[in-house]
Parts: sequence; C-alpha cells; structure tokens
Amino acid sequence: MSDPWRDSLKGFNRRVDTAFNKALKRIQVKRGVGRMAFLLFATFVLFAILKPDVFLSAVNLQTIGLVAPEIGLLALAVMMAMMTGGIDLSVVAMANGTAITVSSLYTAVLNSQGQEAAESMTPLILLAGVAVGVALGAINGALISFVGITPILATLGTWQLYNGLALVWTGGITVSGAPSGLTSMGTSAVFGVPVLLLILIAAAVALAVLINRTAIGRKIALQGANPVASKYSGISARSTLMMTYMTSGLLSAIAGLVFLSRSPSASADYGSSYVLLVIVIVVLGGTNPNGGFATVLGVVLAALTLQVVSSGFTAMRLSAYEYAIAQGVILIGVMVLDQTKFKKRKRRRSTDSEEHDALAEATTK
Amino acid sequence: MSATLRRLRGANNEGLLVAVIIVVAVAMSIASPAFLSSGTFFALVRSSMVPLIFALGVMLIMISGGIDVSFPAIAIFAAYTTVKWSVDGNLDPGLVLIFVIAMVVGGLLGLFNGVVIARFRLPTLIVTLGTLTMYKGILLTYIGSLYISAGELPGSVTTLSDVHLWDAPSGGYLHFMVVPVVLVAVLIAVMLRWTLFGRSIFAIGGDTEAARRVGIRVVRTQVWLYVLAGGLAAFGGMVFVILGKNANPQSIVGTELDIIAAVVLGGASIFGGRGSVFGTMLGVVLVQLINNNLVLVGIPSTWQRAVVGILLLLGVTAQALGRAGANKRPVMIEKEAEA
Repeated sequence: MSDPWRDSLKGFNRRVDTAFNKALKRIQVKRGVGRMAFLLFATFVLFAILKPDVFLSAVNLQTIGLVAPEIGLLALAVMMAMMTGGIDLSVVAMANGTAITVSSLYTAVLNSQGQEAAESMTPLILLAGVAVGVALGAINGALISFVGITPILATLGTWQLYNGLALVWTGGITVSGAPSGLTSMGTSAVFGVPVLLLILIAAAVALAVLINRTAIGRKIALQGANPVASKYSGISARSTLMMTYMTSGLLSAIAGLVFLSRSPSASADYGSSYVLLVIVIVVLGGTNPNGGFATVLGVVLAALTLQVVSSGFTAMRLSAYEYAIAQGVILIGVMVLDQTKFKKRKRRRSTDSEEHDALAEATTK
Repeated sequence: MSATLRRLRGANNEGLLVAVIIVVAVAMSIASPAFLSSGTFFALVRSSMVPLIFALGVMLIMISGGIDVSFPAIAIFAAYTTVKWSVDGNLDPGLVLIFVIAMVVGGLLGLFNGVVIARFRLPTLIVTLGTLTMYKGILLTYIGSLYISAGELPGSVTTLSDVHLWDAPSGGYLHFMVVPVVLVAVLIAVMLRWTLFGRSIFAIGGDTEAARRVGIRVVRTQVWLYVLAGGLAAFGGMVFVILGKNANPQSIVGTELDIIAAVVLGGASIFGGRGSVFGTMLGVVLVQLINNNLVLVGIPSTWQRAVVGILLLLGVTAQALGRAGANKRPVMIEKEAEA
C-alpha cells in the first residue's frame, strides 16, 4: 500500500466525516424538520397498516394532496406572524374575504356581460381578490406597527371584523360561482401530483428564500428573537411588521383562491375550525411561539402530517370531535416537550464559560 | 386635566365607559322610541348575567398577564356533565350540590390549564385555544351530544328557572339568579382588593420577576387562579342552563370573542396588572346593549359581529394610545439620571 493512496483515503474519510457531522448538525439546528419528516413517515405507515384498503386508496391519497395546500398556506401565513413574536388569528377570515370577493365579482360580471367577458376578465378578478387579502393584511400591520396594539388583540379584533363584514356582504349565505380557469386548476394534476400541491410547494420555496436569503427575512427573525437588539441595530420595527403582516395577508389570499378552486362557492363561515388546526401545524413544525425561529419545510411537513392524521382518522371512522381532541393533545404535548428540552439546553449552556465571558464583556461595556 | 376630571374618568377609564354607554343609550332611544322601556332594561340585565360571570374569569386571567379562551368549553362541559349525571342517575341532588359538582368539574379543567401554563411557562392563548377544542371534543365524544330539554332536567333546576325576584308592573322581570351573580361579582371585587391572593394576581401581572422576588409563589398562585377561573366558568355555565331551561352541549362555545371584547373595553390590559370588576361590568353592559338592540334600531342582525369587532378594536386602540403616552415618562427620568 503506497502512502499517497493512504493519505487520499484518509482525506476522503475526513471529508465524509465532516460532511456527515455538518448534516447531523443541520438536522439538530432545524429542529422541526428532522422530527417532522419522521412523524410524517410514521403516521403514514401507521394508518397504512391499520386501514390499508381505505387509507391507501387513490381517492384518499388525492384528498390529502388537495386539502393540505389550503391548510399549508394558512399555516405559512401564521408562521410569518409568529416569527416576529406575534400571531395572526385573522388568516381564515382574510382567505374567506378573498374567496368572497372573487366569487361575487365573477358572478357580477357574468350576469352583466356574459360568460365570455367573465372568463376573459379572470386575471383581473383574481388580482382584485389578492389585493383584498393584502389590504386586509396591511390593516393588521398598521394596527400592530403604527397604533401599537398587541398582535393577539389586534388580529382577534380584525378576525371578528373581517368575518363580520363578510357576513354583512353575503347576508350570511353561501355565494356560488368561480372562474372556470380556477376550478379546472383545482381538479388538474401534473404527473399525478395535484396542481394545488405544486402551488403550496412554490409558495413555500419562495417564502424559504425570502426568510433565509434576503435582508427582510433576517430582519423578521431578529425582530422576533430580540426586538430591543433589533431596534438598536437600526431596523425599523414598523416596516418589518408591516411587511410581515402583508405577506401573511398575501398567503391567506392565495389560500382563499385555493378554497374557491376546490369548490366554486364561498361563505363567511368556511373553515372556522382551521384557526386552531393552523396554529397546531405551525407549532408542530418547529416554530417558536415566542418568535425568532421558524422553518418553512417543517411547517409544510407538519401540514401534510396533520392531513394524513385527519384522513387516517376518517378511514378509521373516528369523528371530527375526536380529531379535535387529537389536535389539542398534539399542540400541548409538543409545546411541553419543546419547553423541557429547551430548559435542559439552557441549563447546559449556562455552565459554559464562553457565555460567562460574553456576559462579562457585555456588562463592562 | 384637573383632579376632579381625572377622578371622574376612573383608574381604568370607567368614567369614559359610562359616558359611552349613556351616548349609545340616548342614540338608540332617539332612533327607536321602543327602546326606552322597562322591558328593554330588564332584558339587558338578564342577558348580561352569564357574560358577566365569564368576563370576570377572563378579567382575573388578564390581570395576571394571560388570556383565556377556553372558558366557554369549561362552562358547558361542567354544566352539561353535571346535569347529565343527575338525569342518568335519575336523582336530583339539590341546587347547592349541583353547583358544587359543576364547579369542581370546572375547577379540575381549570387546573389542567393552570398546570400546563404555569409549570411549563407556555403562551396562554395557544394553550387555552388547544384546551378549548379538546374539552369540547371530549364532551361531545365521551359524555354526550344530545340536547336535554326542560322536561328532563332535574326538578330543582327547572323550578329555579321560573323564580322571579320582582315583576315590574310596566313589563319585564328581575330573575332570581341576579342575586348569586351580583354576590359573586362583589366577592371577586373584595378578593382583588383586600386579600393576599388578589394582590398577588396584580403583582404577577405587573411584573412576574418582581413578584417572585418579594416572595410570592408565582406558579402556585397561577395554578389556583386558573382553578378559580374554571370554577367561575362552570358557575356561569350552570346559570346559563338555569336561565335557558335546557342543556345543549353545542351552546356557549363561539361566544368567547364577545366576552373578551367586553373585558378589554372594561379596561383590563392583556399585559397584566390592570383591570377592575366595575369596569368589566360596564364593558359587558355595553356589548350586550349593542347586541340586544341593534335590530331594534333598524340595523340588520348580520352587522352584529362586525360591530363588536369594531368596538374591540376601538377599545384596544384607546389602550395602546394611552400606553404610548404613559411610556414616555420613564425614558425621560432615565435620561435625567444619566445627566
């Protein structure tokens, strides 16, 4: 055996080792992702074993792919708010606002100018719907950043208000009608993957880039991790929060379009059980409820997992109420688990001399 | 602002709220002459009783710096379970025992909230949102989902449903349940003002770390607080069953935003350390006044939710602006100290 050969083997070995450690570290840092990938796999296998005939049927798998996108989009919207240490309770109301706008506009044009005009104006109508969602998000942002209302109360109030205005507009009934382009999108698939799922993936990728690769993403994370430090770093809390809640409105608006594409009707009360479900997904996906940390991939995986659990429950003939119990148990269980883990980590770190030095340095300044 | 004016305004803007209620009442009586009657007044009292009890529980939690949205589920869980037990067992344990059982059930559900929140220091909104659906799910899955009508309710409950304290000659009546409700409100006011427990709640809400340093057992106080809030919710749930003369497991849940709006309007701050029984009572009256009489003055009932939403936003806006004004002073003192 020649020495150079041995050295190169050694080098290769070392490289593999560091790459492996890096990968391992990444899994640990992105605490939501590794856990969620495992949970998604585990729940899928569990229900596949328990009820293979129903759960593994093509219809059921397709349903998962069709329902997960709207929930996933709403979860990403809440995740944005939670990253800054806030919360957005009005996401479902904003999505319904968009859906009702698009549906009513389409019906109005259809009745006054006929089918052809309504179809040709579809892009404009969709744009108007999205604009409504973003505007509602901007109202949230203005109340939180300019007026200074705490996010819980601001979005609790706007949830009630947007929902109430939708009730007034529709008179409490379901409005029907949607552009045919939108409804055909809801039923089509590319290589067996529903288009709606592709929309969720596209939105998630765009959001991941925004959060991890742009300055505004850093600002949002820092705002949530430490608002005071963020302020002294010269970051404008107002524009950051404004941006966050407008993005949340935009994501909700896209979710509203997905509502409409699945069934061509909209009402003020659609998805009233989504508010809790979406928060469960966001927390389960590894988002810190106190702000500063979130992973897009974790939240998307959590949305898929919850949808797998939901359809698994249906396959097992369990009721919606039992699914609600499961949601509550998962939410509280995950938070308690995270908290105990976090405490342990903190205790270990506080004995670290490194932190003591940093602390000493900070106090002498 | 002169001292008299400040006193009139009250510590938590109670005076302002009284003024708003008077303005709303005057506007309503101008819009509809039918508004000014004793019937309207007694209907308002009657419809405010249950929300007041719920609001007091929410207010206590808010003073301690949290928010509770699980109270409607606790209320109907405790009340329905108690009634169902006595119906199934075919016995009538008497009113006192019924209230005791319901409040023990409510207290236990509150205990779970309290332990999870205080022990693990988790965000109160998210935890109670979780327990809200959990409790409702458990009630409907494992205890019962059927409506219990007046004929099946225990005799002592239905008898109390028809007891009037006073029948007004010009229409309307004062229900007997107003007595225990007012008694509970007074007890809570006394507790908040003159007991160690009450002052501890304010201290924890004002500054948890400072409260811990002066020797208040924070976790224990918080747990007992959630038990108390659970018991109050159960009490409210029983009053609801007595006034409605039926037990419907699908009721109450869904009214939480009206209650929270009332508490916030009443001057309680979500940041803790602020709130009063009198203010909360005024908040409840304002919300009920609007909910009851919108249709009477010609506004369609579909507007109800939006109007309460606007009220809530106005209330929190006033609070936020007030806080922004109050925050300016300490900064100046800090600067002076530096100089």
